[in-house]
Amino acid sequence: MMHIRHVSAVSVRLLWGVLCALLLGVGAAMAQAASDTGAPQGDNRQGTFKTVQGEVVVERGGKRVPVSSGAPLMALDRIVTGPRSAASVILRDGTVLALGPDSSVNLAEFRFDPTTQEGNILISMAKGSLRMVSGLIAKLKPEQVKITTPTSVIGVRGTDFIVETHS
Amino acid sequence: MRRLLVLVATLVWLLAGCAPATRVILLPDGPDAKPTAVVVSTDRGSQTIDKPYQSATVNAQGQVDSEQLRARDVRQRYPQLLAAQPPVSRSFTLYFKPGTSELADESAAQLATVLEQATVRDGGEVVITGHTDRVGTVESNDALSLRRAAAIRELVVKRGFDPTRVYAIGRGEREPVVPTADEVDEPKNRRAEVVVR
Repeated sequence: MMHIRHVSAVSVRLLWGVLCALLLGVGAAMAQAASDTGAPQGDNRQGTFKTVQGEVVVERGGKRVPVSSGAPLMALDRIVTGPRSAASVILRDGTVLALGPDSSVNLAEFRFDPTTQEGNILISMAKGSLRMVSGLIAKLKPEQVKITTPTSVIGVRGTDFIVETHS
Repeated sequence: MRRLLVLVATLVWLLAGCAPATRVILLPDGPDAKPTAVVVSTDRGSQTIDKPYQSATVNAQGQVDSEQLRARDVRQRYPQLLAAQPPVSRSFTLYFKPGTSELADESAAQLATVLEQATVRDGGEVVITGHTDRVGTVESNDALSLRRAAAIRELVVKRGFDPTRVYAIGRGEREPVVPTADEVDEPKNRRAEVVVR
């Protein structure tokens, strides 16, 4: 019995050793992979919040997440601003979005390859006010950038403009 | 009293009926920009607006019209929206010591300005895009340009800047400052553009 217990203690220690070595190896491999790709984006953000005033949240996967300056905007997020609130976000291609009070705007599609600068943007606006200053995607292929409201489709020709809509 | 009520009711009805379901206003572009436009479409029609402060309106039935607004009215109508606009981005060009991913001396000094600028901005970001000359293949230059950008990214992160807001991008030989034939050694093209936004 004693003998067996002793053996198992040794094997447990061995097992730990092997596990630690494995973990270290995986860690090193991951660090390697990260530096191979230039370790760019730590999270999968498609945009970054700049100005945040008052009550601003993103709806993400059924949850409401309060945001502050520097917070990420992810694909499919909906930005919602409260009364007397406002926010601005810069998307990865340099597109600047600003939202006025009582607005609800969804980043329905965003794809951007920074090496070729190709991609597409679809923004779906339920209500409120939005200003867009278009970025690299629109510069290269303006037809790839669209905003929809409940009544209209807005096509961009490389521009700075405001959209206001009521639900 | 009754007359007043009728008047108020009429006004409310008028305002509700007139308020467009969607309004789009074109803003003037910066001094360097080409003429631009926005196209607003519904099932019932479409309008192109291409003058500063020109506006397209869509009513609840999907009818599209356009009108000319004044700068002052637009500023008064959207004070909070316009105030939320982040400051314009700033660009820096950094150069490398020949054949390395190491910054030239004056460029290393500029990096301090980059960090300072990025730190004072709300949610500041540093976007580093590496470029190469045309010596070597497109693929090898994509890799080299990314290594150069990554080297600068490392420096920025080492100085304590939030790594999730520093990006390294390789543009390879696609965007030369001085256009050359293939395989030409051009030092001005071996650079990194750093945008602080």
